[in-house]
Amino acid sequence: MPAWNLTNARHLLRRTGFGATRDAAQQLFDGNATLAAAVDSLLGFDGSKFKPGGKGIDDLHNKWVKYMIKTRLQLQERLVLFWHDHFATSYAKVEDVKLMALQNRLLRINCKGDFKAFVKAINKDAAMVEFLDTVRNRKKQPNENYARELEELFTLGVTAPTPDAGGDAHNYDQEDIVQIARAFSGWGYNSKGEAEFDEDRHDQGDAIENWNPARGPKVIFKKRGGFNNAAGQPFDGGSYDQEIDNVIDIIFQHRYGPSGNLRNTVADYIAKRLVTYFAHPDPAQSFVHSIVDASGFSTSWSIEALLRALFNHDDFYLSATAPGGATKKSVKWPIDFVVSTLRLLGVKLKGKDQSVQGGEYQDIRGQLTNMGQVLFEPPSVFGWDWELAWASSSTMLARYSFARDVTSARDGGASSFRPELLIDLSLTDPGDIVDAVTEMLGLDDQITTNDRDDLKTYLGAGPIDLLDDDTRNRKLHGLVCVLLQSPLYQLQ
Amino acid sequence: MAITRRQFIGRASLATAGTLFGPQLFRNPFLSQALASTIGDRYFIVLFLDGGNDGLNTIIPVTGGLRSPYEDNRKTGAGGLRIANPLVPAVGPGAPAFIDPNTGSQLGFHPGLAKIRDMYEHGMVSVVQGCGYPEYSLSHQVSRSIWERGSPFDSLGTGWMGRYLAAPSSGYIGSDIPAVNIGNSVSGEYNQSATSVLVFNRLSDFGFPYDPSFADDSAAKDILFNALYGNAGATAHPFMQNLSGTGTSTLTATQQYPVLHDDYIADRQSWSDMYADENVPGLDTSTARGFREIAKVIYGGARGAIPANLQARLFELRNGGYDTHSNQGAEETKGDHFRLHQEVAESINLFYQDLADMASGASVGSGLYDLPNKVTVMVFSEFSRRIEQNDDGTDHGSQGPVFVIGGANALNGGIYGNHIDIANTDGDGNSIYSQDNLDGFRSTDFRDVYGTIMKHWLGLANPAALFPLDSTLGLVGPEYWNTANFNLGFLP
Repeated sequence: MPAWNLTNARHLLRRTGFGATRDAAQQLFDGNATLAAAVDSLLGFDGSKFKPGGKGIDDLHNKWVKYMIKTRLQLQERLVLFWHDHFATSYAKVEDVKLMALQNRLLRINCKGDFKAFVKAINKDAAMVEFLDTVRNRKKQPNENYARELEELFTLGVTAPTPDAGGDAHNYDQEDIVQIARAFSGWGYNSKGEAEFDEDRHDQGDAIENWNPARGPKVIFKKRGGFNNAAGQPFDGGSYDQEIDNVIDIIFQHRYGPSGNLRNTVADYIAKRLVTYFAHPDPAQSFVHSIVDASGFSTSWSIEALLRALFNHDDFYLSATAPGGATKKSVKWPIDFVVSTLRLLGVKLKGKDQSVQGGEYQDIRGQLTNMGQVLFEPPSVFGWDWELAWASSSTMLARYSFARDVTSARDGGASSFRPELLIDLSLTDPGDIVDAVTEMLGLDDQITTNDRDDLKTYLGAGPIDLLDDDTRNRKLHGLVCVLLQSPLYQLQ
Repeated sequence: MAITRRQFIGRASLATAGTLFGPQLFRNPFLSQALASTIGDRYFIVLFLDGGNDGLNTIIPVTGGLRSPYEDNRKTGAGGLRIANPLVPAVGPGAPAFIDPNTGSQLGFHPGLAKIRDMYEHGMVSVVQGCGYPEYSLSHQVSRSIWERGSPFDSLGTGWMGRYLAAPSSGYIGSDIPAVNIGNSVSGEYNQSATSVLVFNRLSDFGFPYDPSFADDSAAKDILFNALYGNAGATAHPFMQNLSGTGTSTLTATQQYPVLHDDYIADRQSWSDMYADENVPGLDTSTARGFREIAKVIYGGARGAIPANLQARLFELRNGGYDTHSNQGAEETKGDHFRLHQEVAESINLFYQDLADMASGASVGSGLYDLPNKVTVMVFSEFSRRIEQNDDGTDHGSQGPVFVIGGANALNGGIYGNHIDIANTDGDGNSIYSQDNLDGFRSTDFRDVYGTIMKHWLGLANPAALFPLDSTLGLVGPEYWNTANFNLGFLP
């Protein structure tokens, strides 16, 4: 059981929200007698049904970013981001703002609920039906796009962490994709974005059709015998419009590993992704197994229960301390970098295009585009590449520019950077100023002595008169700018 | 007072050129600068067609034994994908007859590739058919990473270009910028723990990273920036080390690279405008703009505008949208596939015209001399599409063609390798990979393409060391790669 102290409280806040100051951590620590209670207080939120509105996709984008900055349901939005990446759907192909907004709300409503029900809902989500061509999947012209990604990305993964007794680690084969595509044929959506089934376009098998050669009844996982039925899993869900749910019921029984030590494939696959997202990359298999087993996720499919087990696990706190040899760290997503920074600095974006009021006065969508993350437009069905893939010279440069712009926002009002609201400007000692600034940015427990010395050197010999406009604008804004650009601030 | 970029470069290069680089960019300090002995004054560009380009509607059978199975599967009418009139290039010097060596079938280019056909006629194009690997995968992600690694085996965690950069004979040291990725992240080709590659979308993005109102404080900020990134490099945390290299080389690029943009625009404005000409279908696209950035780097570097060790000679860019499960289109100019082909063909053609113009009048000793013959472009995709079409698109398939393009004296134009067998497919409707003769349908192993480029273009005497044979891994049989053939003939 992890210790309940300020360090862990702060880590918990960092990972479940956007940016964590010491004050917020102190509040969480003081308000809860145990770690378990703190986790419950974070997970027990009443979900919002927020749906970003607007005519264009940029409106949707900006409304969502604005919501992330102001909402107290930070964990909810972190989860919506995760699911947006997991069930990656791009406006670039869907080209329908309403459908993208509906999907965004679907992700929010299901973000900590029953994962199996969630996947069944995604199957019929109009944006997804459009994006992965279910709408074009007909009995005479089956389209395999959705069937493949459903298995490869949404539920199973291509290969299992450990092979079966015969040394084979593949979770499925091409035939399974063909069979699932048949089961999904005939589905589309109406003008309200609701799922619709067209029986005439559905492949009903040789019971009705005269296929030559006969396609026969749909059966999946023939070669993956060893769970439930060595001859494969037939679709016996009753009427044909039930097959779309039936597929999920079958997939969620998929097991992997050597006989005698079979584990649920979907549960471990999803748990590993959530652990990687919230805790750290390359988690130990024992960590993943432990939270799946402790939460009962492989039978209840409760995402909330899985997260509770995760946040109460020792290994979750491996990434709490400053980066060193054994510490696990993650690279902040661009949206996290932006939202955290604006929350920590108390700077609001301005106007319809939500622009930063400094530097190049660029809108936030443009800034995020350069950082490599445009919401509602993931690069492909694989979502975004995480960790060091976020940090190339191109995307880092975009982060540097954002840091420059936000710290030079001096037009006045809520959209400027006003350090007087965050720091005691009567401080004159360089060390005190450095401590106040690193605390403001939530870095005070992460920086090294060398870092602190270098920051002091930048400020120069004291006393520093922060009440002098020129000194403050030059040195204090400059210090915050370079700290936002620093390698440490890119990690969490 | 705002500092201009030029003033800043002048100041920065005075102070720090060459010393700003972190020690982490390449961790191989004992390597000597033997660059000239390998790639020499050449350049190599990789263009990745992301999503699985339909090779069967790229190089198309016109007559002969392949045409009839092609017409059996590619239909006419609404949604039909049959190309009725492929473009057959004229035979001429450096442009042998466009005939499949195995079946003798006349082949032709997709009409969207008219400019590539023209370049073929000028001896500038070699087409390597049937490129693939054993036990093909139809997963985008899996297949892409196989191509990026240059190996079907997960055990090789590095990219094929990354291994080249890290090979002692390549001679790169920590302060070099040998390679550039156009885009947002370093592509898998360059994966190698010891290397960091510069990534950008536009050279003009390399702006001033601090508040220009306080330019007199920028030197102090540079010192702090480099100190913090230096401290990160000194930690034992791999992410911090990697960020250290990326951050310092990015800062260097903000100081050194803008001149490449400025000079190109000053000297070649009309060419710059051509890449963005919205009146020419295929230009004013991401591929065209990507090639324009490469042209800037080559132009400036060849004229000695930046230090030689910062002169990138390897480039990667990608064009997305090839996952044509639907709306692929045949010959109609508005079809998705037509537009993609046209984008690639127009961009590459303009790029070589630009290079030829740069070289015109250049004296023998100049870096610009004979430029088109110093640059080759390899065009590949992670897989091809199935011969049997669906409603109005194609599902994932196995092997496909690779293009290698360059000046007429840079390569041996023609057709290499065999067209895949579309009449006899496996149970999944795909042609299989085999190194066996298979009635003349022997496949081309993708490692033979890479190896040929390594040996004959990048000057690596023994590329075999970078590409383990399947037989060395205990996998033998005709379908596996047992004999390297790094002399496919498409390069002199």
